[in-house]
Amino acid sequence: MPEQISIFELVANASLLVQMVMALLALASIISWMMIFQRWFFLRRVANEVDQFEDHFWSGVDLRELYAELEGHDDLTGIETVFVAGFQEFVRLSDQAGAEVDSIMQGVQRGMRVALNREEERLATHLAFLATVGSTSPYVGLFGTVWGIMNSFRSLANMSQATLASVAPGISEALVATAMGLFAAIPAVIGYNRFSAQVEELMKRNEAFSDEVTSILHRAAQARS
Amino acid sequence: MADTVRAYSGPLVLALLVHLAAVTALHDGWFPGAQPEGRAIKPNLVQSQLIVMQPKARPEPKPAPPKPAAEAPVVAEPEPQAKPEPRRDREAERRQREVAEALERQQRRLAELAQDSFTQALAEEASELAADQDLSAAQSFRFGIYQRVVANWSRPPSARNGMQARLLVELIPTGAVVGVTVVESSGNSAFDRSAEAAVRKARAFDVPPESDLFERHFRRFSLLFKPEDLLR
Repeated sequence: MPEQISIFELVANASLLVQMVMALLALASIISWMMIFQRWFFLRRVANEVDQFEDHFWSGVDLRELYAELEGHDDLTGIETVFVAGFQEFVRLSDQAGAEVDSIMQGVQRGMRVALNREEERLATHLAFLATVGSTSPYVGLFGTVWGIMNSFRSLANMSQATLASVAPGISEALVATAMGLFAAIPAVIGYNRFSAQVEELMKRNEAFSDEVTSILHRAAQARS
Repeated sequence: MADTVRAYSGPLVLALLVHLAAVTALHDGWFPGAQPEGRAIKPNLVQSQLIVMQPKARPEPKPAPPKPAAEAPVVAEPEPQAKPEPRRDREAERRQREVAEALERQQRRLAELAQDSFTQALAEEASELAADQDLSAAQSFRFGIYQRVVANWSRPPSARNGMQARLLVELIPTGAVVGVTVVESSGNSAFDRSAEAAVRKARAFDVPPESDLFERHFRRFSLLFKPEDLLR
């Protein structure tokens, strides 16, 4: 009785192009899983950092002290960078004689916007890769499948008596490519959606925080003048 | 650089683990149908051999026991009249030898029979397999013949959906048609005649070159003409 062919035999017997497609998909799957894990840990850490810094910031610490404490450090977290950028600009501009409140605040906002943009970039790294894998790998898999089925039907043309048994292995082998494409795509799409939602949420918090810093500094600048 | 390596090596290991798990899951027959069917089929084969062996082997032991039993009275007779000791000894020895020989003979025959039934089972299986193959080959030729008949058929206007006629077709080994008769009418004579004409018009069919297959399936065979799908 015929034993069922294992998937690995199918892959080993596939044509070169289909094998290349499969290898590409396997690679894409491994890399996208790597990105998923990396983003997962990274975004969790960033969320913790934001929580901690906000707690610290609203605990009534003096902003100048906080600035002095952070300024010397090299490894600032995202939200700390935003704060330092804004406060640095504030200190510099308000030290100059005759600076107006509006020009000071403009400089502060500009400095924080730059820091925010950098932070967003840092949070969203690799998300484009996940999106690409999620949207293209089904097509790549489909390409492998179509190619495999095409060839198995073409070889069928030379036979006088066509049976299901003579096409079935070829089609089954070709379908493995689609399965692999979906296997790569599904986690990538889920990861992309989840992480882009997380990034958005974090950026909203950062922006709200920068607005609050702006208003505090605005009050301070007006009190000074 | 070292930072990037550190940041990505953990995730890379995890990603590889995920894929390794997927591959082993595939390999160990986690996906449906792989192992269970293979297992279900193998015992079947073994069973069929056992069933053939047992009825053959059973009748053998029955004739065997009577032999020693028949000998026993023979030996028992000399014993009452037995006077000299050595003779009785020799007698006992002979008896023992005979019993041993009988036993040996019996075992040999049993083994032979077992061997026989085993080869017989193998042959039966092979012939069954061959018959299966023959049947499927005949089926495909028959399908070709049917296609040719349909291609040569011209539909009478009175033909209706669901009509069917059984024809008896006689061929010679070259595949040429030598006789057609309607054995089961459709109830519509125009339809019957059109079916008969289609076979005659085809003149010759593709038949298997193996003569025994031809003799068995194509020398005279009945053809159910039922072109349902062609009628609208």
